[in-house]
Amino acid sequence: MEIFSDLVMGLSYAVTPINLAYLLIGAMVGMIVGVIPGFGPSAGLAILLPLTFGMDPIGAIMMLAAIYYGSMYGGTITSILLNTPGESATVASTFDGYPLAKKGRAGPALVMQAVASFVGGTVGVILITILAPMFSQVSRSFGPPEYFLLAMMGMLTLLVMIGSNWKLGVISALIGFALGTVGVDLETGQSRYTFGSAELIGGIYFIPIAIGLFGLGELFYAFYSQIHKSASGSLVEYGREQRFWPTAQDFLSTRWTMVRGSILGFVVGVIPGAGATIASLMAYSTERSLSKTPENFGQGEMAGLVAPETANNAASSGAMIPLLTLGIPGSASTAVLLAAFLLWGLRPGPLFMEQNPELAWGMIASMYLGNIILLAINIFAIPLFVQIIKVPYRILGPCVVVICLLGTFTVHASFVETWLMFAAGVVGFFMRLYGFSPAALVLALVLGPLAEEALRQTLTISRGSFGIFLDRPASLWIIGVTIALVVLLPLMGRIGAGAGRAEKAGG
Amino acid sequence: MTQLQDSLTGWIKAGALGLAVAAPFAVAAQAQTYPDPGETLDWTIAFGPGGGNDIMARTIVEILNTYDLYPGDITVENRAGGSGAVGWGYLFGQAGSGYGISTTSGSFVTTPLQADTPWEPADFTPVALLATDDLVLVVNGSSDIQDIGQFIEYAQSNPVTIAGTGTVNVDFIVPTLFAQAAGFEFEYVSFNSMADQTTALLSQSVDAMVGNPGEILGLIDSGDLRALVYSGASTPEALGDVPTMGEVGYEIGVSMPRGLILPPDAPAEAQAFWIETMQQVVETPEWAEYIRSNTLTPTVLYGEEFRTFLTNTQNGFAEVLRSVGAIQ
Amino acid sequence: MRIVFLVALLGGAIFYTYIAFSDLNFMTRTGRLGPGFFPRLVGAAMVVMTFWAILDALRDRRMVAAGGAPGPDDAPEGVWRDFLLLLGLAFGYAILVRLFGGFVSTVVYLIAALSLLNPGRHLQNALVAVIFPTGVYVLFDRVLNANMPPALFDILPF
Repeated sequence: MEIFSDLVMGLSYAVTPINLAYLLIGAMVGMIVGVIPGFGPSAGLAILLPLTFGMDPIGAIMMLAAIYYGSMYGGTITSILLNTPGESATVASTFDGYPLAKKGRAGPALVMQAVASFVGGTVGVILITILAPMFSQVSRSFGPPEYFLLAMMGMLTLLVMIGSNWKLGVISALIGFALGTVGVDLETGQSRYTFGSAELIGGIYFIPIAIGLFGLGELFYAFYSQIHKSASGSLVEYGREQRFWPTAQDFLSTRWTMVRGSILGFVVGVIPGAGATIASLMAYSTERSLSKTPENFGQGEMAGLVAPETANNAASSGAMIPLLTLGIPGSASTAVLLAAFLLWGLRPGPLFMEQNPELAWGMIASMYLGNIILLAINIFAIPLFVQIIKVPYRILGPCVVVICLLGTFTVHASFVETWLMFAAGVVGFFMRLYGFSPAALVLALVLGPLAEEALRQTLTISRGSFGIFLDRPASLWIIGVTIALVVLLPLMGRIGAGAGRAEKAGG
Repeated sequence: MTQLQDSLTGWIKAGALGLAVAAPFAVAAQAQTYPDPGETLDWTIAFGPGGGNDIMARTIVEILNTYDLYPGDITVENRAGGSGAVGWGYLFGQAGSGYGISTTSGSFVTTPLQADTPWEPADFTPVALLATDDLVLVVNGSSDIQDIGQFIEYAQSNPVTIAGTGTVNVDFIVPTLFAQAAGFEFEYVSFNSMADQTTALLSQSVDAMVGNPGEILGLIDSGDLRALVYSGASTPEALGDVPTMGEVGYEIGVSMPRGLILPPDAPAEAQAFWIETMQQVVETPEWAEYIRSNTLTPTVLYGEEFRTFLTNTQNGFAEVLRSVGAIQ
Repeated sequence: MRIVFLVALLGGAIFYTYIAFSDLNFMTRTGRLGPGFFPRLVGAAMVVMTFWAILDALRDRRMVAAGGAPGPDDAPEGVWRDFLLLLGLAFGYAILVRLFGGFVSTVVYLIAALSLLNPGRHLQNALVAVIFPTGVYVLFDRVLNANMPPALFDILPF
């Protein structure tokens, strides 16, 4: 019961009026930076970091941590309402979130995403509380061979994303891989496809592509299909279904999705560098493979929204484990948290939780409170957000262009990236029109560089031998799980979906 | 110049306490033409908020304000993009002015090597090199290798793998030059970030890695990683008795410059003013704390010596990188 | 249009592949996978797949021309004019932002866009064109201290 006493001790540090005020501020700021497309948690953290210099470290770290996981709540709102992902981890939430909004179920979708985020975040922090030392071993056993195998496992999920026309789906994925090769080659330092531009040295960033493909592309498509001239003039015939609250069916049908999404998200989050984006995409495609009605995915299936949402929040909790137990930041956001620790003169590492229990446990305790606060903020704010899609589309449309463009600019202050976003918007429109798969493109853009770099690192380490994958216990584990997935998932799908799906696959 | 130097020596003797008193004199001793308190100093940070360059710039501005070392207003602006090309390009465009200023970091040397920037580091008016980023070579704590002697001995008979961040980077240059000097061969494994390479070393995928000590002190303390040798001129106290490369007999003298620059062809009195001002800044306790908490090496060079340092560093980089084909 | 888009993709794929083969090495000097390894595989696959998709599209078109039913992958009906209108507006906005910065160009762009898309409602349009950019400006620049696009030609007094 040592964990319990640690947690109570943490709570006693966290629950002071001033610290709770910081927590509330952090949660609100996190929501706001999450809502704005492009403006993700790492940018929000970097901006607020200087404000914390004079503060007591516990209050400061509570506030910064709240911005970090709060942005995961906010990031989904524009994914659902405008098909524009707030940040990379919420791209998967557009796949079914936006169709739900179009069906008139924006209210229930927003409530369910808040609930899913709450479940994911809370399961994540419970797992941190009881299993942090065990999971730190997971973080410790990942080297390049394991990352390569993880990327290969992710590629399996590509198969699910490819969509109805497999040729166009494969082309979409190849475009993503090709974009992923732009920038300085990690191993040799040689520039690839940069054409002398300094802006492209660091490669093509995920966010402008995602905002363009989904946000701007969908907007072009909406104008092409005359939504702005439809009867009500708004995106949704809102009068059709006025229900704001999710039905009991929504909860019942997604209860196991939440469990699976939380665990998968947490485990992927624990692996440094894999992160919430991969977790949410993997959770989405896993859920689709397991579903009895996979054909409903992409048409507004609640499980298709709940899965990535629980996963990305659980992953952002999971990413705290390498930070707290090893001092290794698993993502851009936790890297800012690490910078904050260093600025306060702390020394993150394996001894951190022992040496600074009040700080570590204070933060963990505050994460329980933060998730509750965020759930409450969301439930109150949702009726306001739902108003957005009641705005006539002929007015909303031009404003969404502004949000996409300025949101992209805020990330790196780069005009090259705003043009990339624009180009991705045009390409995204045509991809949508002709049945390509933008989802496969973004997944390939995430996984391609990971796979290429990890494979080349692995072969450098092993001096060209592939045997290394069989020498390492962690690698063997991943191979085993992958084989199990390949064998089991189609079996389960077949049993569940029955003949209808088999017919479709044949046709 | 002698007057300048006299006032400076007096300064250092006066120490931190005397700073606030001496500052007005120092400014008064300067030519009347620079700085004009009516002009706003336009301070460019070529990277986004929160990064190493940003923290250094804001630390210096804070010190300038605290000790009243600059009479006019200072506006600080993050002009990020293109690995520094945008921000330093902006400063380059202010040629001839004494009221634009920027801090440098590793990318100041490496970005022009990789992209068609209109500027080279030596084009700018150098003020001062204030510190250098240096690297520590570490192995996994469970390794049998206890010190750098054993490491070199082991590496001479068994080719080793060493991880670092990026290839067009000091992380690659330092072990390459060190291995040449010490007579061993290694395979360099390039990673995207310090976090990735640390994970690789902890999972025993690589034999050793180089990195800035700041982020991994916790792992060194706990015994998960073992520090063997440091590439700077003097070992930071946090690393204890780890020897420098010079102490083990293989001095390589390459490091990442953190300094201060003015636009090209800035007026001589502006350069002189800033050299003198920075001499005061590096004596403050705030600066000492910055150096300590970021585990930097306080290497200080002024004016033309800094320009020479930049040119030498860039040539050294270009030579090594060309030899491996990373750049043309 | 479907064919045009696919041909454009093929053009991009050929260009990508050409650079992969001409500028990037398959292997490094030390015998490891080089910078061109992955791009060559991806590029070649992209050329083959796009070419195949073009053949499919041509076959579909012949079938339609021969009086057959349109294929299942045919694009949904829509109005190109409205797409091109929004595309043009967005493009103009992106150029304005480069020249006049975030705030001014947003106002100008919204006035233009709304008077075309929401004609006749002058008061409503004017309010949106002023209030929305102001809100964005206050939130980005003042509250969050985020990057707003700077102007090449600053025409604002503040």
